[in-house]
Amino acid sequence: MAIENLHGRAAWVFDEIDFDVDQIVGVKNIKIKDVDELARLAMATYEADFASKVQAGDLLVGNSNFGYGHPHYPPMIAMRRLGIAGVIAESFSPGYWRGEIAMGFPQVSCQGILTKVNRWDELVVDWSQDKIFNITQDTEIPFEPLTEGDQLMLEAGGIIGYLHERNKAEQDNE
Amino acid sequence: MGHTIAEKILARAAGLGTVHAGQEIEVKPDYVIAYDFPGYTDVIFKQMEEEFGIRKVAEPERFALFIDHMVPAVAPHEEELHQNTRDWGAKNNVPVYERMGIGHQVAAELGYATPGAFAVHFDGHISQLGTYGTLAIGVRRHLLEAFVKEHIKLKVPHTTRVNLDGALRPGVTARDVFHHIVRVIGPSGCRFNVLELGGTTIADMTLEGRQTITCLAMFTGAITAVINPDKKALDYALPRARKELDVQYSDDDASYTAVHDIDVSTLDPVVVIPPNPSNTRDLADFVGTEIHLGYLGSCASGRLEDLRMAAEVLEGRQVKDGFQLHVVPTSKDIMEQAAREGTLATLIAAGAYVTSSSCDYCFGRMGVMSDGQRAVSTGTLNVKGRMGSTDSEIYIVNAAAVAAAAIEGCIADPRKYVKS
Repeated sequence: MAIENLHGRAAWVFDEIDFDVDQIVGVKNIKIKDVDELARLAMATYEADFASKVQAGDLLVGNSNFGYGHPHYPPMIAMRRLGIAGVIAESFSPGYWRGEIAMGFPQVSCQGILTKVNRWDELVVDWSQDKIFNITQDTEIPFEPLTEGDQLMLEAGGIIGYLHERNKAEQDNE
Repeated sequence: MGHTIAEKILARAAGLGTVHAGQEIEVKPDYVIAYDFPGYTDVIFKQMEEEFGIRKVAEPERFALFIDHMVPAVAPHEEELHQNTRDWGAKNNVPVYERMGIGHQVAAELGYATPGAFAVHFDGHISQLGTYGTLAIGVRRHLLEAFVKEHIKLKVPHTTRVNLDGALRPGVTARDVFHHIVRVIGPSGCRFNVLELGGTTIADMTLEGRQTITCLAMFTGAITAVINPDKKALDYALPRARKELDVQYSDDDASYTAVHDIDVSTLDPVVVIPPNPSNTRDLADFVGTEIHLGYLGSCASGRLEDLRMAAEVLEGRQVKDGFQLHVVPTSKDIMEQAAREGTLATLIAAGAYVTSSSCDYCFGRMGVMSDGQRAVSTGTLNVKGRMGSTDSEIYIVNAAAVAAAAIEGCIADPRKYVKS
């Protein structure tokens, strides 16, 4: 099994260092459970018609220590509902990283990405080469390979699938 | 090349001779710890049974559950969550500790801070067990793996060493020291690393103060914090340890990502301004900022020395009219001791509203603010909406500064009230 390559546009570039993802839906909306409502609220303070511009498969780009603070799950639940397929950032805060990888949501740690991508550039995240190809600018950028554990979790679509796969592999070895 | 304490603990827990930072291993946690919280424990219990057919955990002595949030319950669904936790604990022979205090502190009191042990929790503030030479990591939803499997996959973390040197000035506490560390090394200065603390300041510091610092490690980007245990730590931890393990220490020639030497002898009290835990500033620059509420408590602060310092500030004085001062000791044992020695009486006489231990004041379930209000707090975090309205503000300060603000109704330099 392999993780499917990501192919989409840079739907937004967060240039703020230590970005607190809760701002995506707004802290006052963080307890909302309805996914459609969260999706409607996502990015509203950044760009009112963001939702209508996003296509399935699009990606987010972030600066260093992305997800710092006290990250909650609703912002990225909202982003996934809008079609966002993953996040590429200069680097990530560990708590955010662990949380989203467990949800099966691809995260790509890529030093230098911020200076090499403009909004709406077409990008391919190639897991087999550990490279991001910027189709629009005809450039490529290497990214930090996933750990085996994170790779297995993304392949399995999150922690539940991952644990089933681990059980299966252990049974097969018996 | 030698090894860090983190590498040695993980090597032992993985059943390997040695491991090195960056290596991916399967490791068996000595302790799997959680507090009951909707979306975490209730979901884990359900998924264990429904997804993986696990009706009982194999080694219940490795597991510990705490009921410290939503205490006391204010709605039926909260009490249902607690009852579900009690039922699951009873069925699995797993202890459920409730009304004893904030779990991260109670875990230390009950011997889960075993020197040399490896522990996991979903909450990162469990890092404070590192005060006693325990490697305790908050893994968020990955905790399910530790409930379903004996071993979890883990990349052995690198370690960043911070040496703190110098005697603290009067009115300057461990809380100030931690936020100063963030100011010096930055909010990503220890990203994905273990924060290993040492130096003369740590050696001279109380265990309570060390717990304050290790508790907050996540705000440096660290996955946990650890201190090589000295006699003080071992005298506390070994008699109550729940397992007999070899105590581990970093080798002198261990490899570190970075070593930071920070002199804290000239440090003055700090304030962490909203809305971000990395916004450390000199408190002096914010003196006079109007404040409406004070919170002294949490898993980071709210221990005896914090309560005593607040009592010293407030002795013979009164909380300003209209100011709400909430004092919530971190555990029942701490509260009992503070009551016996008269510390609580001093705080109560001054007008503090003192309640039994609970996490609820820290995360905005009780004692909340409305729009436009402002708090000084020893809670863990100052992000928007953490203590009520998203249009309120939280200024993090030490316990003495909470008390000083309660007297003056604004941010005040606590040193004018501190004798020692």
